[in-house]
Order: sequence, then C-alpha cells, then structure tokens
Amino acid sequence: MSAQTTSMRDALYEAPGPKTKRRTAIGTVVSLVLLGVAIFFIIRQFYITDQLNERYWSFLLEWTTWRFLLEGLWGTVRVAAVSGVISMALGLLLMLGRISNSKVLSAICRVLTDLFRSLPSLLLIYFFFLVIPKYGLRMPPFWMLTIPISLAASGVLAEVFRAGVNAVPKGQVEAAMSIGLTHGKIVWKIVLPQALRIVIPSLVSQLVVVVKDTTVAYVVSFPDLMQNARVLISNYDALVSMYFVVAIIYILINYAINHLSIYLAHRSGNKIISRETENPL
Amino acid sequence: MAASDTAIIQMHHVDKHYGQLHVLQDINLDVHKGEVVVLIGPSGSGKSTLCRTINRLETIDSGEILFEGKPLPQEGKELAAYRAEIGMVFQSFNLFAHKSILDNVTLGPREVLKTPKDVAEKEAMELLERVGVAEQAHKVPAQLSGGQQQRVAIARSLAMHPKAMLFDEPTSALDPEMINEVLEVMVELAREGMTMVVVTHEMNFARRVSNRVVFMADGQIMEEASPDEFFDHPKTDRAKDFLDSIRGH
Repeated sequence: MSAQTTSMRDALYEAPGPKTKRRTAIGTVVSLVLLGVAIFFIIRQFYITDQLNERYWSFLLEWTTWRFLLEGLWGTVRVAAVSGVISMALGLLLMLGRISNSKVLSAICRVLTDLFRSLPSLLLIYFFFLVIPKYGLRMPPFWMLTIPISLAASGVLAEVFRAGVNAVPKGQVEAAMSIGLTHGKIVWKIVLPQALRIVIPSLVSQLVVVVKDTTVAYVVSFPDLMQNARVLISNYDALVSMYFVVAIIYILINYAINHLSIYLAHRSGNKIISRETENPL
Repeated sequence: MAASDTAIIQMHHVDKHYGQLHVLQDINLDVHKGEVVVLIGPSGSGKSTLCRTINRLETIDSGEILFEGKPLPQEGKELAAYRAEIGMVFQSFNLFAHKSILDNVTLGPREVLKTPKDVAEKEAMELLERVGVAEQAHKVPAQLSGGQQQRVAIARSLAMHPKAMLFDEPTSALDPEMINEVLEVMVELAREGMTMVVVTHEMNFARRVSNRVVFMADGQIMEEASPDEFFDHPKTDRAKDFLDSIRGH
C-alpha cells in the first residue's frame, strides 16, 4: 500500500546477472570512448573554423553584455511566469467546464481546448500581432506574446488536469457522497486537491514548454533573452559563442524548474496517494 | 438488539439492469429500526449492488426505495442531505488519501453538519478512541494497516450520527489477521442498536450478530430467514449449494 517509489529501471528490468553485468560494463566503456571522440571532433572543428578565437568570446567579459542579457532574462521570466499563471487558471476553467453536467458548456470547452492545443503558439502570436491590431485593438508587445502563449498552454493544461481528475479513484468520490458532501464540495475538497498532486510532474513539463515558447518573442520585438542575444550576435558578430551561452542559461532555468517539481512532489506527499482496486458487485 | 416494528428502509419491486444483465430482479426488502440484516450470496448475485442502491450510489430502473416512509431524493442538496443520514463502509475503505485520519473523520461534520472545528475534533477523537486508532489521528491513511483504515472508515461514518449504516463487504479486502478487529467494532455497533445492512462473506458474523439473513443469487432474493434457520435448514437448493461450497471440506 504505502509502496516505495520504484524507479523506472526497477519497473522495467530485473536485477542484472553476471552476463548482463559484463555486457553493461563493455557498453559503458564503448560509449565513453565514442563520446570522447565526438567531443574531440567538435572542439577540433571549432578550432579549425577559428570559433575559439578570442574576439568571439571577449565581449562576454564585459558587464554591459551581461546586463543586456539579464534584462532579456527578466523579460523571459516575466512572460513565462505570467503565462504560467494565466494558463493554469484558464486550463482549470476549461477542464471544469468540460466535465460539467451542462452539455453546451462542455462542448464549448472541448472545442476551445482542442483548438488551443492544436494551434502552434507561433500562429496564435501572429494572430494577436497581425490580425487583432487591424480591428483596432492595440496592446503592448508583452501581452501580444503572453496571451497567445497562455492560450496554447491552457489547452494542454486542461487535458493534463482532466487526466488528473480521471486518475482520482472513484471510491474517493463515493466516500465523499456517502458522508453527504454536495457536488461542488466534492470537486473542490476531494477531487481537485488529489488530481493536482497527481499531475504536478506534467504541470512542470508544461512550464518548461512555456519557457521555451517565449523564445518566439522576436516576432513581436519583445526583449526576451533570445531577442537580446540576437542583438548581441549582430553587434559582435559572435553567433556560436552567444548561442552557446544562451543555451546554457536555458538549460539552467529548466533544470531548476524540474528540480522544483521533484521538491514539490515530495513536499505535497505524492506518495500518500495509494490506489485501491475497485470492484463493485 | 430489539428490532422494532417500524421499517426504516423499504424496497418495493426494485429492478435494475446493467445492459443485458438483470442485476436486481423484483427486490422486496424491509429493514427495521435497530435490525442487523446480512446479505449473503455468491459473487455476482447483486448483493453489493442492492446495498449501494440504498444510498443511491446505484440508481434503480423501476420500483421504489423508501427511507423512513419517504422516497429517496433523486439529486442535488436533498440527496446529499439524505446520504448524510446513512453511513457507508466500503470494501476498499476509501479514506480520503490526502487528508489526515482526524480530518477524514471531521470533514463530514464540519462541512455538512456545520459543527465547529473544536467540537468536531473532540468528537472525532472520541470515535477514534472507540475504534482503537486514536494514536494514529495525525497520520495519513496510507500509513495505516488495512484493518486500521477500515476502523477509521467506520468512525468517519459514525461521526455523521447516521440513522442506519451500510457495510459493503467491509472485511473482504483485509488480511486474515485484521478481519476480527473490524468485525469487533461492527458487533459493538450492532449491540448498541445501530440499524445495519451488511454484505459479507463472514458467516460466523452473520450467524452471531444478524437478526435476519437475506440470501441472494442471480439478482434475486432467494431466501430470507433468521440466521439459525437459514444456516441449519436452508430451503432452496441454491442456498444449500452455497452453504456447502463455503463449508466445503
């Protein structure tokens, strides 16, 4: 019941025997060698093409470069954070509408969910950037970026929330009914709290997608990390080094987000949710 | 133990289908105040379904179910208020997995009966004491054994001061050594005069505690008798076969 969390490896493979251990050791050595060779060739290619030349890297030692990048990072964080909050709220509403008893509301929410989920966020951004202003609604670049990203993510999140709600054992709802809780209270006090705990990992993956989506900010000339990096690239003619640095920053951000998810999952006690088998009759 | 004459639960000509399957066929059953009625029968006989129709976790196709002479509410606040008066204990306990033991027991009183927090908690602790799990009050359900969880589930139902209680195979998911601790709590309840409908495979419990045994097979009530009469002199062949098969060897 209070099962220990088994890692994916434990679930898929049995404990290795002597032959498997030998094969694993050989595989490890071979792949390390291959990796070393690959790194060697990459650096060699950099060297040959003169990418390691000081003039491509020296600007990274200047404070103004970093100030400009940090300004961009701040833009990225703002868009990602606001989009994250809006998309979660909207996703939750779409999901609640979809599972509601009203057929009409449910159908509307399903259509919206599928629409937001299937449209590329870039297309949505073009819509807010090029189409909507034609009809007189002007908004700052921040919102022209944030709203479409939020909409695109909300569709996915609505489905994530729905999966979470479906994963809450039916017995939880029956028990809540049998002590006399009304429908609304069952949803808010029993189902949603458990559903949210179940989907925390998926929520965080979606936040990572949101962060990556912000990189299309250049379309609306919003100064995010990527956009500012592009400016620096044209100023210093340093394509490879700049993208290298920016890639590392994105990796660090998303690494941090993923670790936040592990922390959250532990703290909210993901493990306490044990599923009993249901068999009426 | 004394069962009075007022039928608190009445089922008249109740029918239910699952698609082609006729799971409840013309069920007529009265349960009197203070009575302990045990439903037994082979698996798939419809006994759990019958139990669940009483608090409308299962709907019925035709016939009627009355509680204290009034038909069951069909939906909404009235239905919720009705369910609050009937305790239900499930095979798989169904404690709220994200709440502490204490919160499991106080949730109903606080949200439905609007009992103030301190009063609800005091009462919950008394109930947990009574079923012998007071020391676990601040743990979460997954940290308890099956037997402990089921006793908490009984306490959770009792916290609502139910007029009757339904037990849907309360010991079927338990390890053998934990069955008795749950049955003891149920025996105690029966002694105090709780009206109980119990679906079970525990024949000793049925014989010792119940006022009446209802034997079901294929969605029908085949036989209704006092426990001694039923176990010693079953009338129908189905009941004889069933009793033979569980006594076996």
